[in-house]
Amino acid sequence: MSTTNPHSDAPTEAVSSPVDRARVRRRSKQRRRVANVAGLMASLVLTGSLYSVFAPAQAADDTTSESAAEAAGRELYERSCITCHGENLEGEPNRGPSLIGVGEAAVYFQVHTGRMPLVRQEADAPDKPTIFSDEEIDQLMAYVQANGGGPTLPSGDLRDGDLAEGGELFRLNCASCHNFVGEGGALSSGKAAPSLKDTSDTELYAAMLTGPENMPVFGDNQLTPDEKRSIINYVQTVKFQADPGGAGVGRIGPVAEGLVVWVVGISVLMFGIFWMGSKA
Amino acid sequence: MTTHDTRPGSAGGADTPGPLHGGPDEDYTPEQLAAMSREELDILGARYDGVEILHVDPGPEPGSRMEKRAVRQVGWTFAAAGISAFLFLVVYVGSGWFLPEWAWAREGTTWSALFTPLLGLFMGLAFALAGIGLVLYTKKLLPHETAVQDKHDGSHFDRVTTGATLVGGLHNSGLARRKLLTRSLGFMGAGVGLMLLAPLGGLIKNPNKGNPLGRTSWAEGVRLVRDDGTPIRPGDQQPGSLETVFPAVPGGNRQSDAATMLIRLRPEQVNADRPREGQADFGYNDYVAYSKICTHAGCPVSLYEQETSRILCPCHQSQFDVTQGAKPVFGPATRSLPQLPLDVDDEGYFVARSDYIEAVGPTYWNRERI
Amino acid sequence: MAATATAPGAPTSRLGKAATELDDRLIVAGPVRRTLNKVFPDHWSFLLGEIALYCFIILLLSGTYLTFFFDATMIEVQYDGQYDPLRGTEMSGAYASALDLSFDVRGGLFMRQLHHWAALLFVASIVVHLLRIFFTGAFRRPRESNWLIGVVMLVLSLLMGVTGYSLPDDLLSGTGLRIISAILLSIPVIGTWAHFAIFNGDYVGEQIIGRFYIAHVLIFPAILLALIAVHLLILVKQKHTQFPGPGRTEHNVVGNRLFPTFAGKATGLMLVVFGVCTALAGLVQINPVWLWGPYNPAQVSAASQPDWYIGFLDGSTRIFPAWDINLPGDYTIPALFWPTVVVAGTMFTVLALYPMIERKVTKDTASHHLLQRPRDVPVRTSLGMMGLTFYFWLMVAGGNDVIADKFDISLNAMTWIGRIGVIVLPPIVYTITYRICLGLQQHDREVLEHGIETGVIRRLPHGEFIEVHQPLGPVDEHGHGQLAYGGAPVPKRMNHVGGARRAIRGFFSPIEQPSAVELEQRGEGRGLAAGEASRELTTSGRPSDGGRPSDGGRPQDARD
Repeated sequence: MSTTNPHSDAPTEAVSSPVDRARVRRRSKQRRRVANVAGLMASLVLTGSLYSVFAPAQAADDTTSESAAEAAGRELYERSCITCHGENLEGEPNRGPSLIGVGEAAVYFQVHTGRMPLVRQEADAPDKPTIFSDEEIDQLMAYVQANGGGPTLPSGDLRDGDLAEGGELFRLNCASCHNFVGEGGALSSGKAAPSLKDTSDTELYAAMLTGPENMPVFGDNQLTPDEKRSIINYVQTVKFQADPGGAGVGRIGPVAEGLVVWVVGISVLMFGIFWMGSKA
Repeated sequence: MTTHDTRPGSAGGADTPGPLHGGPDEDYTPEQLAAMSREELDILGARYDGVEILHVDPGPEPGSRMEKRAVRQVGWTFAAAGISAFLFLVVYVGSGWFLPEWAWAREGTTWSALFTPLLGLFMGLAFALAGIGLVLYTKKLLPHETAVQDKHDGSHFDRVTTGATLVGGLHNSGLARRKLLTRSLGFMGAGVGLMLLAPLGGLIKNPNKGNPLGRTSWAEGVRLVRDDGTPIRPGDQQPGSLETVFPAVPGGNRQSDAATMLIRLRPEQVNADRPREGQADFGYNDYVAYSKICTHAGCPVSLYEQETSRILCPCHQSQFDVTQGAKPVFGPATRSLPQLPLDVDDEGYFVARSDYIEAVGPTYWNRERI
Repeated sequence: MAATATAPGAPTSRLGKAATELDDRLIVAGPVRRTLNKVFPDHWSFLLGEIALYCFIILLLSGTYLTFFFDATMIEVQYDGQYDPLRGTEMSGAYASALDLSFDVRGGLFMRQLHHWAALLFVASIVVHLLRIFFTGAFRRPRESNWLIGVVMLVLSLLMGVTGYSLPDDLLSGTGLRIISAILLSIPVIGTWAHFAIFNGDYVGEQIIGRFYIAHVLIFPAILLALIAVHLLILVKQKHTQFPGPGRTEHNVVGNRLFPTFAGKATGLMLVVFGVCTALAGLVQINPVWLWGPYNPAQVSAASQPDWYIGFLDGSTRIFPAWDINLPGDYTIPALFWPTVVVAGTMFTVLALYPMIERKVTKDTASHHLLQRPRDVPVRTSLGMMGLTFYFWLMVAGGNDVIADKFDISLNAMTWIGRIGVIVLPPIVYTITYRICLGLQQHDREVLEHGIETGVIRRLPHGEFIEVHQPLGPVDEHGHGQLAYGGAPVPKRMNHVGGARRAIRGFFSPIEQPSAVELEQRGEGRGLAAGEASRELTTSGRPSDGGRPSDGGRPQDARD
C-alpha cells in the first residue's frame, strides 16, 4: 500500500514487525483496494497541499507559542487531516468528527493502526499499514493534545495485571464483539470488530480508553488502568499461547470444526471405502 | 434354529433338493462327511445356508513374485502400524520421565503443545496402517470369491401355522366371551400404567407460582454494581460507553436474568433519543439502562456500536436501537429490550427505581398476562 | 451327540476338540456357519452405515473413559489447576473437571477431543448413509421399518450431541443452553411447564447439567444401542439390497461371504475409522473450552455457534422474520417457535414418513430388493436434492456471521441472502436436478440404441462426417441396438466394455499393460472357478465398472 502513497518517504523499515505481518495477511484485501486507495490518496494529498499553499499566513500566526513537535504536528495535520476534521479540530459535518477531547491516545490508535487518514467514507475505517513514521505520529499527537486535550497514552508495563481477572473482564466487556480470544467478529451492516491478532499493547490500551469508531469507550473510572492492563495481559498471553490440542483451526469453534469433519474426515473415509470397494 | 433347516424345501440353492424335517444330519452320515474334502464341506454348508459360490479368483500363486510382493507390502504395513503403536507408548509413558514434562505450561517447553498431537499422530497411524494392511491383505492375498445367496419371502406355511397357534391360545383363554375379565384387565392396565408414570410428577413445577419468569432481583433502591461489586456514580462512565451492571444483591452477578447494560449516550444520541411511550423518565440524564438478555432467545446482547446506537445479538443477529427505546430494528427479535428505571441515591450512586416493568428474556406463551 | 474320538470326522486337533466341547454346550455351530456364510454386496456405498457404527464404538469407549474424570455438578468452585489464565476464576464443578480432564489427566485432552471428533463424524456419516439409502430407493418396502428406525437414531444422535456439548458448562455451550431454554419456553401452552420440568425451575437452576449428563451417558445411549441392534437384526433378516446387474435379481444377493473377505474389509474399515478419528483427535484441536471460559449468563462471544449438525436450526432461527403471533387473551406464539420446533419437527416427520408418502403417491406397494439409480427416479432425486439444498442453506445461514466476517460481506446482507436463498434455491435445484436426470436417462438410451461414441470420425463418400459408434449388442437392420435398459450403468467409454474389468486394475496406479493382464488371467484357470460364464457375475466395485446391461452379444471380449 505504501507504494501508492507519496508520504512514504518515511523509511518503511521503521515499521514494526507486526505491521509487516499484517501486511502479508491482508495482501489480498489490499489488492482489491489499491486502486481506490491510490486515487483517493492522491486527491487527499492534493487537497492538503493546496491548503498549505493558500493558507500559510494564518497558520504562521498560531505557531508562536508552539513547541517544535507541535508545529511539525500542525503541518502534518494540515496536510492530511484538516479536510475532514476542520481547521481547529472542530470536525466537518458528514465528513469527520471533532477531535476536541479525544486526546493523543485516539490519535495514536487511529494513525498507528493506519485507520487514519481515511481513504473514503465507509461503514468501517479499515486498518492498513500506517503511512506516518513513529516520529510523525508523535508530532501529530502533540499537536492534537495541545489544542484539543483528552486522554493521554499510558506509560510503563501495559501487561502488568492479573491474568485470570483479565480473562473475566475480557469475556464480560470485549468478547461479545471481538470473539473469545480476539479473533474479531461481524457487526451490523458491514461493520466488523477487528481481530486483535496484530494489535500492540499500546493500541489495545488506547482503543479501550478512547472507543474508536463504534467501539464503546472504557474510561478509567469504568475500567481502571489496572484492569485495562489485566485485559491486555490476557489478550496478549492467550494470543501467543500454543494450542495444546493440535492445530487451532482459527480458534473460532464449531464452524471451522464442522468444515474439518466434512472436508477431511468424511472425504478421507469416502476415499477409503472407495478404495476398499475397488478390485485388487 | 428356526429358519432354513426346519423348513421344507428351503434347500438354499434353487436347483438342489433340500432336506426334509430331519435336517442335514439324516442326509449325511458322519462317514459320508468324513470322506469329503474341506472345500467340499465348505460348499455343502454354504448350500444349506442358501449360498452358492459361483466363482473364485484364487489368490496369487504360492511362491510367485506377485505373492512375495504382496506379502512384503502387507507385512511392512503391519510392522509400521506396530512401530506407531510403540511410539505412542513411548510418548505416553515417557513424557515426564525421559521425555520433557507433558503437563501444559504457558512458558517453558513446547513438549506440552506437542504431546497430544503426537499421541494422535501415532495412534492414528497405528490404527490406519493396521486397517490398510488388513484391506491390502484381503485384496491382494485372499482368494476373491463371488457368492450368491437366496433371499426368501415370508413362508406361507409359517404364517398359517403360527396364526393357528396364536388364535388357538387366545380362543382357549376365552377372553372374547368373558367380558368382565377384559374390562377389569383394561381397568387394571390403565391403573398400573398411570401408577408407573406418576412418580414423574416430581419433575413438574408450576411456572406461574410467584411469577419467576416475570421478576428479577431488581427493586426500588437496589444499587447498580459492577461484576466486582463496586457501585457506580454518574460521573464514572464516558459518553459512548456501556457497562454491564448487576443488582447489588448476593449472587446478583450470577443471576441469569438480572444482567443489565448501563449506557451513557453521547450528546448526539441524547438529542436523537426517542424513549418508549411512558418510559421517558426511565433514564437518568444521559444514562439509560436496558436488560442485557435478548428478547428473542435469551443470549446476552452487548455488541454495542456507539456510533450507530445499535446493539447486536451475537446469537441470531437481532439488532436493537438504543435511541429508540432499544426497539428491534433488524433480525428475528420482536420486542424491545426492557428498560430499567434509573435514579441516584443519597450517596450519589445509581439505583433502580423498581424492577423491570415487563418480563425480561425470551417471549413465552402467557408472557403478556403476567 | 457325544462324539467319541473314534467317530469318523471327529476333530483331532486340540482346537477342534475345544470347539466340539463348546458346541456340546451351546449348540452354536449352525448359527455360526449361517453367519459366516452370509453374503454381503461388495459395493463401496454399503460401507457408509458401518462408518457410523464404528464411530459409535469409539464414542462408547472414549465416553466411558471421560466419565472417570468428569463431574457433572454445577456447584461453584475456584479453579486451581494447570491452566493458569483461568487459575483463581469462579466456575462450575463441571467446567473445572473438564479443564482438569484436559490439563491434569495424562492423555485426557486427547480422549476428550477423540470423543468430540467421533461425535461430529458419527452424525456426518449417518447423514451420508441416509442420503445413499434415500437416493437409491433402499427404503422401499420391505425396509420402511429400518428407515424409520434410522431416522429415529438420527434424531437421537442429535440429542446426544446437544446434551453432550452442553456438559462442560463453558461459555459457548452455556450460550447454547440458554437458547435451548428459550426454545422450550417458546412452545405454545406447555412451554413454561416443559421448561420448568426439564430445568427444575427458571433458567438456569442447578440441575440441568446433571440431568443432561444422565440423559447423555445412560438414557440416550441405551436407546441408541437397542435401536442399533434392531437396525442390524432387521438388516440381517431382510438381507441387503443390491444394485441391478447381471445375475442379480430381487431374490438373491451377490457379493462376498462374511468370512473371510467381508470380515477382513469391515475390520479394516473399522481400524481406518479409528485411525481417522484418533488422528483428528490429536492433530486438530476441537472445542478448546479453556479458551471459551466458564459460563456466565452475562457474558457471550461473537460468533457463538452450535456444532455443525445443529447448525441448520441456528440458521433457520437467524433468518426467520420477527413474527410473534398475538392471540386473543394476551397469549403469544413466539417467533422462535417456528424456526426451531416447527421446522425441525416438520423436517424429521417428513423424512420419517417419506417411504409411506412415496408408496401412497406412486402406488408402488411391491417389495424391492434391487436399488434404483437416482437418474431413473427423477422426482425422488429432485425432491431429495431440494431438501438437501434447503438443509444446506439453513446450515450456511447458521454460520452467516463468520462468513460475513471472513469475506467482508454485510451481516444484514447475509441474513437477506439466507432468507431469499432458502425460498428461491430449492425450486431451482429441483428443476435443474430433474433436467439432469432426464438428460442422463436419455443418454443411456442413446448409447443402448446407437452404441458408444468411439471418437473415430469417418468421412462418408458423399462428404458427410460421422462419428463411428460401437454398438453394445446385436443390431437390427437399421443398425439400432436391441438391448433394453436394465437399471444398471451403461458403458459410456470404450474401455468400460467387455473384458475391461481386468484392464483397469489397480486403484492408485492403473495397470493397463495387456501383457501383464494376460499373464495373470492365464493363472486364473485354477481353483474352484465355476466356469467362464459365471465370471460375468462380478460385483461392481466402482460405479464406473458396474454390471453390464446384458450378458449376451458383447462386441469384444478380451478373454475369449
